[in-house]
Amino acid sequence: MLRFSILFVVILVTLFAAELTQPVQSAVVLPWTEALARICAGLITLFDSHVASFGKILQSTANGFAVSIEAGCNGIEAAIVLIAAMLAFPAPWKHRVTGIFIGLSAVQVLNIVRVISLFYLGQWNMQAFEWAHLYLWQALIMLDVLIVWLVWIRMLPPSSSSVSPPAPPLDGGAQQATAP
Amino acid sequence: MTTGAPSLKKFVLRTILWLPPCFAAWYFSAQYHAAVAGALARRLVDLFKSGIVSTLEQQGIDLVFVTTIEVHPEPGQTALLLPEVNPLLYTYGLAFFLALMLAARAKWWKILVGAAVLLPFQSWGIAFDFLVQVGVKLGPDVSAQAGLLGWRSEVIALGYQIGYLIFPSLIPVVLWASFNRRFIENLLRSQVRDPHTHP
Repeated sequence: MLRFSILFVVILVTLFAAELTQPVQSAVVLPWTEALARICAGLITLFDSHVASFGKILQSTANGFAVSIEAGCNGIEAAIVLIAAMLAFPAPWKHRVTGIFIGLSAVQVLNIVRVISLFYLGQWNMQAFEWAHLYLWQALIMLDVLIVWLVWIRMLPPSSSSVSPPAPPLDGGAQQATAP
Repeated sequence: MTTGAPSLKKFVLRTILWLPPCFAAWYFSAQYHAAVAGALARRLVDLFKSGIVSTLEQQGIDLVFVTTIEVHPEPGQTALLLPEVNPLLYTYGLAFFLALMLAARAKWWKILVGAAVLLPFQSWGIAFDFLVQVGVKLGPDVSAQAGLLGWRSEVIALGYQIGYLIFPSLIPVVLWASFNRRFIENLLRSQVRDPHTHP
């Protein structure tokens, strides 16, 4: 646990600090954010033709409402947390790479849902938009990261698990005890 | 007697169901925990650079830092700078943490301890929100008057990003994992358990 915690914090801070540097912003963050806007616009046009993307901005051509995908909304911080958690956890490299690839896809799929939902929520009600944008979706994206990580450790081969004796029951309902 | 595998699906479903009431409870009690987090944030600001905040006021939920920094809105006029911070941006993790803990049916004392442990991280976000306004966003005149130049402005920028983008949503999960290590261990164990031992 201590090794995991230290590694997790070190990798997290390193990746996060790297993300904030200008070269990484120019080479990774901005291109990805613009691609995200294009992907969202492309998906929206499947059912609504009144949308366009300009750089990292997603705009309704019907009423002019626009959202700009900023830091915290492009899924990169969530991706960094997931990568740090998977690299810090003792596991074979093959499983780490697979987990990071599939996990990042899962996080970004939900992030696309977030951006599209906020795009329509903002056109409907700004107060609801603010709530969903600033609080609710932030929690849901991190819950997604947690679920992906828990599913991943569940799928690891037994040899990568360091725990073997049966654990005592949990405090509550996260574990169910059954009597014959 | 056998111990069943923890159900991830049920845990996730319970968390999602707990989120709305937890967000409601967090929002309606925001004025009170924002006051506590704000008071702690003021101490953090004093540690970082003493003398720039004279007092902390609260307008509803928003926190108002009364500074000693003078600004001139019009020629001949002098006023004190009063940056405002929305503490909800940094405290929503309390609702998330409550939902996770209630979904895991954690003991009440763990929830209380966790809520207390969250406070310094929330205060970090509030403190650096104030500092980034004074040290970065309001221009070189204000940051020079506050003495927040050079290395301090670099630290402020990084501290703000961590306090805004990482802490509010990550710390609740880290705390939940710390309080529910057995759940995670059982989850790990469930894929290696002999299926014949299950009823």
